[in-house]
Amino acid sequence: MTRTRDPERTLALVAGCRTPFSRAGTDLRGASAADLATHVFREVLDRTGIDPRSIAEVVLGCGGADAREANVARVAALRAGVPQEVPAVTVQRNCASGMEAVFAADLRLRAGEGDVFLVGGTESMSNYPLTMGPALTRLFERLARARSPFARAAALATFRPSQLKPRVALQEGLTDPVSGMIMGMTAERLARTFGIQRGAQDAFALQSHRRAARARERGRLAREIAPLAAPPQYRAMVDADNGIRAEQSLEALARLRPVFDRNEGDVTVGNACQITDGAVGLLLMSLARARSLGLRPLAVLRGHGHAGLDPAAMGLGPVHAMPKALADAGLGFGDVELFEINEAFAAQVLACIAAAASGEYCRTQVGLPGALGEIDPARLNVNGGAIALGHPIAASGARLLLTLAEELRERSLHAGMASLCIGGGQGQAIVLEAA
Amino acid sequence: MTTMDTPVAPVHSTPEEGVVHLTFEADGLAVLRLGAPGERVVTFTERRLRSLEAALRKLHGRSGLAGVVVTGPGPGMFAAGADIKVIEAVHDAAAGEAAAREGRSIYGLCQELAVPVVGAIEGPCLGGGLELALAFDLRVVSDAPGTLLGLPEVKLGIVPGFGGTQRLTRLLGLPAALDLILTGRLLDPRQSRKVGIADRVVPSQRLLDAARAEVRRLQACGRKAPVRRLRGFAWFATRCAPVRNFVADRARKAALSGQGRFYPAPLRALELCLDALRLPPDAGFANEARALGELIVTPVSKALVRLFFLTERAKRLGKSEAARPVQRAHVVGGGVMGAGIAGLLANKGVAVRLCDLDQAALARAKARLQKDLDKRVQRRRLAAHEAQAVQDRLAVSGEWGSLQRCDLFLEAVVEDLAVKQRLFATAVERGLPDTAVLATNTSSLPIDAMAEGLRAPQRVVGIHFFNPPEKMPLVEVIRGARTSDPAVATACALAVRLGKFPIVVQDAPGFLVNRCLAPYLNEAALLLLEGNAPEAVDRAMLDFGMPMGPARLLDEIGFDVADKVSRTLSAAFGSRMTVNPLFAAMVQAGALGQKSGGGLYDRSGSKPGPGRAVLARLRRERADLAGPAAPQQIVERLIYPMLDEGWRCLAEGLVAGEEDLDLGLVMGIGFPPFTGGPTVYARRIGLAQVVATLERLAAAGRPGLVPSDALRAAARG
Repeated sequence: MTRTRDPERTLALVAGCRTPFSRAGTDLRGASAADLATHVFREVLDRTGIDPRSIAEVVLGCGGADAREANVARVAALRAGVPQEVPAVTVQRNCASGMEAVFAADLRLRAGEGDVFLVGGTESMSNYPLTMGPALTRLFERLARARSPFARAAALATFRPSQLKPRVALQEGLTDPVSGMIMGMTAERLARTFGIQRGAQDAFALQSHRRAARARERGRLAREIAPLAAPPQYRAMVDADNGIRAEQSLEALARLRPVFDRNEGDVTVGNACQITDGAVGLLLMSLARARSLGLRPLAVLRGHGHAGLDPAAMGLGPVHAMPKALADAGLGFGDVELFEINEAFAAQVLACIAAAASGEYCRTQVGLPGALGEIDPARLNVNGGAIALGHPIAASGARLLLTLAEELRERSLHAGMASLCIGGGQGQAIVLEAA
Repeated sequence: MTTMDTPVAPVHSTPEEGVVHLTFEADGLAVLRLGAPGERVVTFTERRLRSLEAALRKLHGRSGLAGVVVTGPGPGMFAAGADIKVIEAVHDAAAGEAAAREGRSIYGLCQELAVPVVGAIEGPCLGGGLELALAFDLRVVSDAPGTLLGLPEVKLGIVPGFGGTQRLTRLLGLPAALDLILTGRLLDPRQSRKVGIADRVVPSQRLLDAARAEVRRLQACGRKAPVRRLRGFAWFATRCAPVRNFVADRARKAALSGQGRFYPAPLRALELCLDALRLPPDAGFANEARALGELIVTPVSKALVRLFFLTERAKRLGKSEAARPVQRAHVVGGGVMGAGIAGLLANKGVAVRLCDLDQAALARAKARLQKDLDKRVQRRRLAAHEAQAVQDRLAVSGEWGSLQRCDLFLEAVVEDLAVKQRLFATAVERGLPDTAVLATNTSSLPIDAMAEGLRAPQRVVGIHFFNPPEKMPLVEVIRGARTSDPAVATACALAVRLGKFPIVVQDAPGFLVNRCLAPYLNEAALLLLEGNAPEAVDRAMLDFGMPMGPARLLDEIGFDVADKVSRTLSAAFGSRMTVNPLFAAMVQAGALGQKSGGGLYDRSGSKPGPGRAVLARLRRERADLAGPAAPQQIVERLIYPMLDEGWRCLAEGLVAGEEDLDLGLVMGIGFPPFTGGPTVYARRIGLAQVVATLERLAAAGRPGLVPSDALRAAARG
């Protein structure tokens, strides 16, 4: 286990914080993705007191960047007081965008391109727009080009009321254009393949809420949260996640109607992740740099991996990515003491557990010699997950790492792994080690 | 291009400062610079005016001249107006009138030139500078920041005297001219284009070329610029008598409202603007010169000029080399003061972290800043992205975070010495750099005690803002016994950067302003107890020239604060600052003032409030109901003890000199600016007279009012 590593090339997670995760359309609806990211970046910088000139690059994940802030990383970095000389890039790997930011920093460090990185993920799902489709855009183009009143009238005559039908970015973003499936349908498919009953899904969702509620009660979640005053009016400080339902009961969950397959499905709003606003900011640097600055890292990054699979089975992405991350880390499955797997859907996480334990699946689909291993539910998502906290797309990957790092320290454990399934058929995983 | 470069007036090889410079270019174009390149400030002195006259006369005699571009000595400066020392030195109305007539006729030479004259304006174009520009055919204005146009003469108690009232009224019409001249408001390039002073606003780099192009354009189409016609409302309000009278009446009422009645200049300016429309030009100009001559010798003008110099002096305190740059600040305490100061810092480019354990207070701080920003964005004073940058600079949190990169640690928490000491000690423990300044916004606690036991106590300094910090223009910088010069310089520079006037005060109870205010408020409370109505006391002081009566002021301050400060001062100074029983009684009755929904007045501030019952009860309990006092007596009893306290402060060396005392009380308390400040006022009354009055009051049962040795000594001369 105690393989020595080059501190110059080992990425340390030095500090991190997140906004409270708020259900879309509630406390943080007035904040743009850049507003949220600006807040967490400023907090990370203020809390650590590092000189932001030393940052090699700012990397921020964002799943649905607003047209006004397309490179939201740059906008947030400048607004948070990062000097203009420091470059910034926004990365997009759907649900794993926040983990991709850490991944990208690790690649840069390994390549010798800088040793301090401000990273994170941000998503304002409240502000996903309704857009006008190309048909209406064409009409405006024709109108703009029309020179004579006659030409203008002719252009107007091509108007059809159907052109006014808006496109819903949220819905389109959650639909995979290759398989044509909305994410919920991929979860339904996994539930059927692995024989996961509605009751098991609801029980998992209930557990997520209970664990999160307990973590909130004992102040564990507050340790990650940097409260913020909610724009645009700043009437109140938002200091806690508002998706956690401490009073949730199995009966209430059972009463919910399926959303995606209305007649035969299992996936309900109760056992799927919530649509949420939030951002996470992390300060990463080489272990050597952290030591020379006298900063005590939360954890170090031991290995990373990502993989692709059938888009229609995207929920199993973690099973494909985790072995790669373990190989990169030089660790065995049994060395991992804590797991964080993003709870896109209860069915999907349960399918991952089943697939990882299945010798046949791992051999035929992942290319492993045998089963990956049994994931102990008691060591998985110990403070709840996206079903309770919500899944602000790009923020989740970074949140899993922050939560995992804090938890490794709290429990004095050695190694943990965080992983996400990714719409479009991918998985990503990162192994963290106590610093 | 340049064929010759001749300084007009004595010829030197290098361009000389203080005079205008004339350059001729190849195609018959003349460029007249109002100063030598590198001259940072252009003001109109006698010498510069003479050289301007000589230059214009030379242009009159020149053949083959195509046109003239008039510009400043270089980028960022056109002309800041008349030299204020010259204004100060005029003590004879006839001389002032003659100087105005002279200057006006020199400016008139521009219009008499047969060729077009175009101004290329960047930087301050104020007062006499704008009056000159108004005599040009066209004005091209640069978009460079710092470019400001306006006629601020009324702020010095005078009117524009070089033709400004006449030319501006004819150019813009009555409403716009009144708005500018009666308020002395300054316009940025965009605004000046909108009202019509600027004909074109161009990028800074193209200023001269644009002016040259305008000259050629005019030259091609008939030499001089045509007179611009007024349109729409401006035409109606200028040419149509009933509308004009209505506009003039409104302006007259506005000029007389509040304390406006103490300042004669705006009303004179109003009449002059009307003259521009109803009299032939020469008569209008003559009236203007006469008005200037009469106003320039008034005590009001002299007082305002003096205050202007005092404010300039205070601003220079902010330029010390010893001051450290402040880029990042921590403010602890999210109350009204802390939040206000944090907002000010964020506005002026400081990254500030406001810390308080009360989350609601933190949100209020952000909300309050946003409200102010929204207002400015709505009025187009600020772009939306600039407002956002200000808000981004203000972080609010329950956690301090790291202090490693902090330049200024300012506390604005409850007035409790132990709490403040602990805060400073913790800040040092948590890694505040040794170069950072530890500042306190205390109004009553000793700075020296706060520095006690700290590593590097020399960096502890008081920065005392007044409530509300966004509005009050004064900051007392408190120098403790061990406070270092760099710490004081940093505090002063910060105050100036935040748009405040700093005065340096030694560490003593109440510092300067609150200490001088205490006898005033104590005595006011006593007058109320003796049977004077709050309205009567307030009316007397408003008539004296204070911006707000003492009873209203007590409501604003809050009786809890008044009581607390009063106790501190009473403990320090004994009998002459005895705590007035009214304060505690009001606190007990819960009538704290505006903050509790009403004190002596109700929430609106104009009708009697819940505190009247307390007042009535205390009056019944008193034996010595002296009954209503005459307004003159009220003024004597309120103002004279304040003057006495001022001289005590001077004698104790609390402030460096009378200038600081005057600036402090005018900006901090609202001592009437037209008096020139308390020391000028006291001398006008006669110090002996003040001493005699105080002695009389002391003999009549107010032993606390015995005049100090300091005042007696000053009275003896």
